[in-house]
Amino acid sequence: MNNKDKLLTIINEVLEGTQREKMSKIKDEYNLRLDIGFDSFDLAELTVRIEEVFDIDIFEDGIVETIEQILIKINEK
Amino acid sequence: MKNVLLTGCSRGVGLVITKVLVSKGYTVYGISRNLSNEYKNLMNSFPKKIKFKSFDLSNVNDINKEVFKNYIPNSTKLHAYINNAAIAYDDIITNLNVDRLENMFKVNVFSPLNIVKYAIRNMIFNRNSGHIIHLSSISVHTGYKGLAMYAASKGALEAFSKNTAREWGERGIKSNCIVAGFMETDMSSTLGDDMKNRIFKRTSLKKPTDLNSVANTIEFIISGNAKSITGQNIHVDSGTI
Repeated sequence: MNNKDKLLTIINEVLEGTQREKMSKIKDEYNLRLDIGFDSFDLAELTVRIEEVFDIDIFEDGIVETIEQILIKINEK
Repeated sequence: MKNVLLTGCSRGVGLVITKVLVSKGYTVYGISRNLSNEYKNLMNSFPKKIKFKSFDLSNVNDINKEVFKNYIPNSTKLHAYINNAAIAYDDIITNLNVDRLENMFKVNVFSPLNIVKYAIRNMIFNRNSGHIIHLSSISVHTGYKGLAMYAASKGALEAFSKNTAREWGERGIKSNCIVAGFMETDMSSTLGDDMKNRIFKRTSLKKPTDLNSVANTIEFIISGNAKSITGQNIHVDSGTI
């Protein structure tokens, strides 16, 4: 499973936690708030779940808004 | 199995909290700078229910790694964080020493706030409606000569707790303060009898605060019997007036 697929799995875990519909795919340009519908609590949970898998805190040094920005942080590590 | 992180576990009211929690079936993850003989004896009596890590809370930046990743990782579902560790600072304001003040704020405020950050992260990860409890002090509400700096650190916790409750309530996470009166512990041992008597005269019961009543109040708050209590300051203080 590549990092993008792992990220999709994590995003779906967050969506499932609040009984929302899962996504079948994500695109690099997707905005976490506008396209996926995450609020600040969802983003907090996303951060925690990403850290558990990739050992990186994506919000530690600034705001992350898109899928591409998350993938860059994960791949840079 | 309900896991509780308790700081300042090895002495004073921390020891009594450990005893009460273990008697009710909780597993206590204790943190203190030093392991006391009393806590060691408790660990020997309940080896699976009482754990210990030596950590100095003035190391604010090591909390994620030492307290969480190496001690309470996300695989350990955290039910409650009890912020009990604190250092006292007894002096009049005109003698305020900035280094002492900074060290006290690291232990009493900065580290607890940073622990709350990671405790909430653990609770989100586990989808657990957990509890945060801060041990505050009656000195926040009733002024005492010599305790302005200490009271300021506890007042910061009360403000933080109220806002934690507001911010994280919709995820079921609760935050409360136990406002303890003066207890007969090592922390108050530097006070002279004269000072102690003056303090106790300001209480309705004319007595020091009973450690067991503090510990049992905490257990009640984190039990399933107090689900609607959050964002509160609960006074356990012999009726200080």
